[in-house]
Amino acid sequence: MIGIMNIQAQELALGDDRQVGYVKKKVEINNLKALIKTLEPMYEVSIVCNSDLVQTKIAYEVSDKSKSVEEHLTKLTSKSNLSYHKLDKDFYVITNKKEKRAINSDAVPVAVPYNKSHESVKKEAYRVEKIEEERITGTVSSENGETLPGVNVLLKGTNIGTVTDMDGKYVITTPTSSGTLVFSFIGFSSQEIPIGGRSIINVTMVDESQALGEVVVTAFGLERRKESLVYSVTEVKGEEFTKSRETNLANSLTGKIAGVNATSMASGPGSSSRVVIRGNGSLNGNNQPLYVINGMPISNSPSTVRDQANGATTDLGDGISSINPDDIESISVLKGGAAAALYGSQAANGVILITTKKGTRQKKGIGVELNSNFTLGTINIFPEYQYEYGQGSQGVRPQSQGEAISTGRLSYGEPMDGQPYVQFDGVERPYSPSNIKDNIKAFYRNSTNIVNTISFAGGNESVIYRASVSDLQSGAIVDGSTYDRQTANVSVKAFMSDKLSFDTQIQYNYEVGTNRPGVGYVGTNSAWGVYLLANTVDITDLAPGYNTANGQEVEWQHVNQATNPYFARDRMGNQDVKDRVIAQGSLTYDLLPNLFIKADFMRDFSSWREEDFYPVGTAFRPLGTYRSQEELRTRSNGRLIANYNTTLGNGINLTALIGGNLERDILDASNLIGSEYIIPNWISPVNLNILAPSKGFFRTGTNSVFSSLDFNLKETYYLSITGRQDQFSTLNPGNNKIFYPSVGGSVILSNAFSLPDVINFAKLRGSWAQVGSATVNAYAINQLYGFRLGGHLGVPVQTSSSAISNPELRPLTSTTTEIGFDAQFFDNRFGIDFTLYRKINQDDIVSTSIAPSSGATSTLLNVGEISNRGIELLLTGNPIRTSVFSWNVSYNLAYNKNRVLTLAPGQATGNSSLLGKDSSTRFGRSYQYTEDGITIYNSISGYAMKGPTMPLGIGVPPYTMGFENTFTYKNFSLNALIDAKFGNQFFSQAKQYMWRFGFLKETLPGRDNGLTVDGVDENGDAFSKNWPSSFMSTYYNNDGQYATNFMIDGSFVKLRSVVLNYNIPVDKLNFVNLTTAQISLVARNLAILYRNSDHFDPEQGSDPNSNSQNFSGVMLPRTREIGFNLRIGF
Amino acid sequence: MRSILHFTNLFLNQYDIMKKYSNIYKIGLAMALVVMTSCNDFTDSLSDLNKNPNAYEEVIPEFLFSNSMLDGVAFNFTNGADGQHFIFAQAMQQFSTHSEVRGTGDKYFNESAARNHWAVYNTALADNQRVINRVNEDPNDINMLSAARIWKVYLFHIVTDVHGDVPYFEALKSSEGMLQPKYDTQEAIYEDMLKELEQAAAAFNPSLPTFGPSDLFYGGDTGKWKKLANSLMLRLSMRLTEVRPDLAEAWAKKAIAGGVILEDEDIAKVNYLDGQIEHSRNPKAANLLVQDYQNPQAGVSNTQGGKFAETFIEHLKMTGDPRLNVISVVWISNPDGNGYVYDTATNIQRGMKSGALFGEPEDFHTYSEPHPNTVLSYASPVLTMTNAETNLLLAEASIRGWYNGSAKAAYEDAVRAGMRQWALFGDEGIIATEKIEAYIARNPFMENGSFDEKLEQISTQKWVSLFLDNYEIFSNWRRTGYPMLVPTNYPGNITGGTIPRRLIIPDSELNLNEVNFMDAFNRQGVDNLLTSTVWWDPKFPK
Repeated sequence: MIGIMNIQAQELALGDDRQVGYVKKKVEINNLKALIKTLEPMYEVSIVCNSDLVQTKIAYEVSDKSKSVEEHLTKLTSKSNLSYHKLDKDFYVITNKKEKRAINSDAVPVAVPYNKSHESVKKEAYRVEKIEEERITGTVSSENGETLPGVNVLLKGTNIGTVTDMDGKYVITTPTSSGTLVFSFIGFSSQEIPIGGRSIINVTMVDESQALGEVVVTAFGLERRKESLVYSVTEVKGEEFTKSRETNLANSLTGKIAGVNATSMASGPGSSSRVVIRGNGSLNGNNQPLYVINGMPISNSPSTVRDQANGATTDLGDGISSINPDDIESISVLKGGAAAALYGSQAANGVILITTKKGTRQKKGIGVELNSNFTLGTINIFPEYQYEYGQGSQGVRPQSQGEAISTGRLSYGEPMDGQPYVQFDGVERPYSPSNIKDNIKAFYRNSTNIVNTISFAGGNESVIYRASVSDLQSGAIVDGSTYDRQTANVSVKAFMSDKLSFDTQIQYNYEVGTNRPGVGYVGTNSAWGVYLLANTVDITDLAPGYNTANGQEVEWQHVNQATNPYFARDRMGNQDVKDRVIAQGSLTYDLLPNLFIKADFMRDFSSWREEDFYPVGTAFRPLGTYRSQEELRTRSNGRLIANYNTTLGNGINLTALIGGNLERDILDASNLIGSEYIIPNWISPVNLNILAPSKGFFRTGTNSVFSSLDFNLKETYYLSITGRQDQFSTLNPGNNKIFYPSVGGSVILSNAFSLPDVINFAKLRGSWAQVGSATVNAYAINQLYGFRLGGHLGVPVQTSSSAISNPELRPLTSTTTEIGFDAQFFDNRFGIDFTLYRKINQDDIVSTSIAPSSGATSTLLNVGEISNRGIELLLTGNPIRTSVFSWNVSYNLAYNKNRVLTLAPGQATGNSSLLGKDSSTRFGRSYQYTEDGITIYNSISGYAMKGPTMPLGIGVPPYTMGFENTFTYKNFSLNALIDAKFGNQFFSQAKQYMWRFGFLKETLPGRDNGLTVDGVDENGDAFSKNWPSSFMSTYYNNDGQYATNFMIDGSFVKLRSVVLNYNIPVDKLNFVNLTTAQISLVARNLAILYRNSDHFDPEQGSDPNSNSQNFSGVMLPRTREIGFNLRIGF
Repeated sequence: MRSILHFTNLFLNQYDIMKKYSNIYKIGLAMALVVMTSCNDFTDSLSDLNKNPNAYEEVIPEFLFSNSMLDGVAFNFTNGADGQHFIFAQAMQQFSTHSEVRGTGDKYFNESAARNHWAVYNTALADNQRVINRVNEDPNDINMLSAARIWKVYLFHIVTDVHGDVPYFEALKSSEGMLQPKYDTQEAIYEDMLKELEQAAAAFNPSLPTFGPSDLFYGGDTGKWKKLANSLMLRLSMRLTEVRPDLAEAWAKKAIAGGVILEDEDIAKVNYLDGQIEHSRNPKAANLLVQDYQNPQAGVSNTQGGKFAETFIEHLKMTGDPRLNVISVVWISNPDGNGYVYDTATNIQRGMKSGALFGEPEDFHTYSEPHPNTVLSYASPVLTMTNAETNLLLAEASIRGWYNGSAKAAYEDAVRAGMRQWALFGDEGIIATEKIEAYIARNPFMENGSFDEKLEQISTQKWVSLFLDNYEIFSNWRRTGYPMLVPTNYPGNITGGTIPRRLIIPDSELNLNEVNFMDAFNRQGVDNLLTSTVWWDPKFPK
């Protein structure tokens, strides 16, 4: 933002009151010579023209309100048949417009060149003129198709050059058709393009993301040169999210940035994403970073609803799922505390800064861009069931319909023999797995995702604007389950004067989720039935899942909570609708050229309505259930900052910033929960016997003041200091304030020292930062009582909470220490960026379980201390770089070690304690063994004894990495991203049930002749027991208790995304007026290159609200998506 | 607001160039200001923000006492869905199921749900303690304090009966910072509970205020509370017959002298309503309906595969018990061909075998289920302490020589009371006096029987009369061994084919209160299993 502001200020300053010596004098001019003679001293420039033009009659007046020399020349040439060219700094040539050749051989100086140094230039110019000249035109645009004004175009080895205009168009006249044009622009790699006899050369500038001088967006939308930063920040261009896209933008971050662990949930389109930067810092908070759009925080709470009668969870997405990738200019991730200190408490988990696209100035018309994306998803992994023993229990196949229902989920029958046997519906079918192996495929369809976005951008001197509308239609693999999202986004920036500008962005979202799939446990989760159906039953025989005459669910097994999958899919239902407006406006006023103040106001407002139901006829709730929920959620921020920049002398530059912020969050919820429909098949809250409303209203606020000081010595030594004080509404006055500082420094070694030539750039940085935070819900410090709605038989009934309040809570502190090094080698072809960090959260506010016998189950205590230490490494390379072929490669790796250092007294101890372990540790019981590893059996039951609770694995992968390659050949490019995570495990409830029900090979031993178990008993005496084959169902059912059986390795290497892109050469398509056209084949989650998991995708997913990510219920199968993307700009 | 706009105007007028934009600018600024000032969130102080407008910060003793009572009586059944109901009602062979899911009680698999009763600590007991903390200061609140003390004993005696040594004296003090309470011996707990009942009963003062209508048992009648205290004292004292007969005798005599519940109107019960407020529907009925016997599937299929147990139905049939017809039905096809109707005819009632081999039997729908208009009636009451039970306790006291009244008379009164009480469940629960007397005539009290025979008769009658009060049936069975039940021995059961004798203390105590838990664990030496025993249990290792 500083960058833009400064440029703007400069432009405007030239426009008005430039105080040069002659400006007040009114000069009348009647020929070109006179004009040149007037302008040259006035602006200290040199101007030449052809001798035949010297006496050209003109009528021109250099008024008091005169402009820059170029404006004069523009004005002059616009009124005559003359044109002018800028040959060099302060050196201009005037020619006749009609003439093809710009400057002919007898061009003469009108006067003695004002600037002596121009002599040689003139001579060069004269020499050049003698050669036949070529007029070359073209358009320069960025990779995302936007035209770039102001790009320098230079004929290599000469001073002949020009700059592109507002439309990115340029005209250059060269004396040769075999030279090379050099295109350069800040932030982009310079390009050298041989002319090769062409008269039209269109150029796409490539973002110079790894090179020096990169500008990144930091706190409050301020742009800073990357090399000046004292902390680690990574920026990803919006382009990277649009082709191979995810419906939830945040999922696209996976593998992109070292230390950023993005996980998508296996719960259908429109679902949440979970992003954790540098590990879970808190046991209690949600640990997800703060999302900031154009400098203002949005809310990002994952919302889930639990099936009201059973246990399935429906994932309704999170705040970030509303953002349309097409609107994104770039995403910067601020990982460390120093980066985040200015954003305050919510930034304790890092900040993801999203900068949306803005308008661009254009001479005429508007730039229109259209992006269409279509992908198709297919299931990528199927469990490996056993198909040796069919449906049944105790070694016997069902003999009656009743037994077929009782054993609807059990495959403990006889060896499959293909003979007919009676099934759940009384129909006899073969006792064989034919058709059944495809049960999962048969139940699901392909998922689809269609996104269309159109955007308009334009602007002039006083206003720039961009507007986009986008439509997303996605269908889950579950029939009838859809998620649609319409987004409209407007961005306007008005320059009201040279000092005042107004900037606003408004995004409106309309999101509709229909029949979002339940996942996790039973109930609305159709996957439960799909994955847990006896292995000789064809799932399609369960359809339609209900009696079409009376709506009664068809029971396929005897536990009614486990719904018939077709009934869950087609009869149970839910719909949610969200209207969301994220609006922000800011005014910036330059009090002085180097001092501005900026006022921001932003509100993220969403209105969300949800309705879900079990119909009449549901086996588990025959009379039906109903629920509706309405939520109004707002996050409002008002902020005022002042920014001052000055040079102190001795090459020290100082930027000082001071500001204040008020944030208010509100959640206003109204729910209706009911049951027992009066009239069947009419889903409405007015059609219920039981209906209970409830109301929730939660407000929180944070008041903050903050300041930062940035010193810069000769662009070599940088020092940055910040301080912030937050005051939280959720804590008691007296305990609710916290001040936290940060300090960081960096040295550009390549400036400070003389380094070997192969090192183009080297920088060392270090920082120490604190962030204070209060991860406490509204009212949590108060002991609160409610009432049972309607009392009891006329008597009011008060209710209480089993958590006891703690009024003494105080804020927690997160302290990050970070050092890093980055460098570029071999003509900037290879780069390394390395960071070492340690983050310690102290006084973590932990919801501490307490022994229920104390009369409460939990309380909040300031007790936790969690450390995260890790490294982040980014290697970049550009091994091949020719005019037709280039290869870019980047590899990032992060390792994070999470440890719980302290816990409350009274917390779990010993093996089952988190103390000293990773905070995402999963605990459970295994078999009990003697020291020699012999299994100990319970002599009464004959089962293996359960061992003590012990750690089984950690849920959050400590190792994450990404490996990206981009190959560009002429108009083709191929991008492939591989990402990998290692070292985590999760407990799979699906595997547990598949095991217990006899679907897995692990349950085959003993089916034929029984199973003999050997070991010792409780007293250490030898123990042996023979379980007859008919007992295998009970035996393996009991295995469900030993959690070790069901841990699944979450490690993987995935080919995450592949994009094959073709830039259609639009300049050759003369019949259409396109500026860009790209078509891409895209794929996501194309292949799993490595996994160590049985039966499931290693990312089988979990609850987005869970910090530990170490548990997975029965989720939707994962898919691979393949499709195409088309982008057209005109 | 106005002054801000005025200021804005002045500010704008300074700059000519801005004049043409000033309208847009003013509108923009005005909008921003309206948004900011229209929400008082920005003007309210931070501490005002932290007040929940939808919650109250004070305990209102009578209102919270009602909650404790509603939670407490529901605990006897509902908590943990298929938990205690299936453990005790199935283990005591009143219900059975063909299900093999881990929650079943008739096959002695149940382990996870056998931990759920512990939650009474942080619900009913915690609320009652909050009430006690509020009313124990002012002597004028003595009636409320006494009722709450008696209620506390009621809740606690179940906790110790099903778990043995438990936190008692230091329990429920989290608000005072006591997060890891010590475990007390069951003996000490019993001694204190008996003392509490005596003291609380003695402290009532009818001239002072009571909980009034918030007292869901008695509407504030202190006389009836006294009888409840004495009845409970009698129940507790009798629990000690095998382990501390001295204490048992002394306290039984004290209880009887104090006066126990003898009249129907003195029954301690909570009433419910078949209405649109879910928590005002009988929680036992609601639980049974949701778990198993929901219309319109009744009889045909149900969630947990539950039916009445053969043992129970056969006993009722064998004794010609008229209660059979008010609690048990078989669903038969509606003669008009439309669905099912229930039939209470004795001859078609049949119970399903306990712990039978897995799989829904073909004739599943022909087994007896709870009566939809009595046991499953939302409007039926939960009976907490009845005159049927007190009379049976008196009968036992009599045969032990601790009560001067006639055992026969007490027994017969118990039978009559136990049958009359079904009228409370609905009109279809009314049992005609002739049927009651006929039952007594058919099953006379064995005056000439041995002590054991009498005890068996009394205890078996308790098994029937206290139907639905599963905790008490379970405790009485453990103490007396009656009724004699033949255990099941389903493949892979976890008790070695014996009926469970204890519930399991959840891992939360091992994890969060380890030292104290382990103290008690080691002291008792009975492990923490379904096969463990409690101190007063005759099977407790001496």
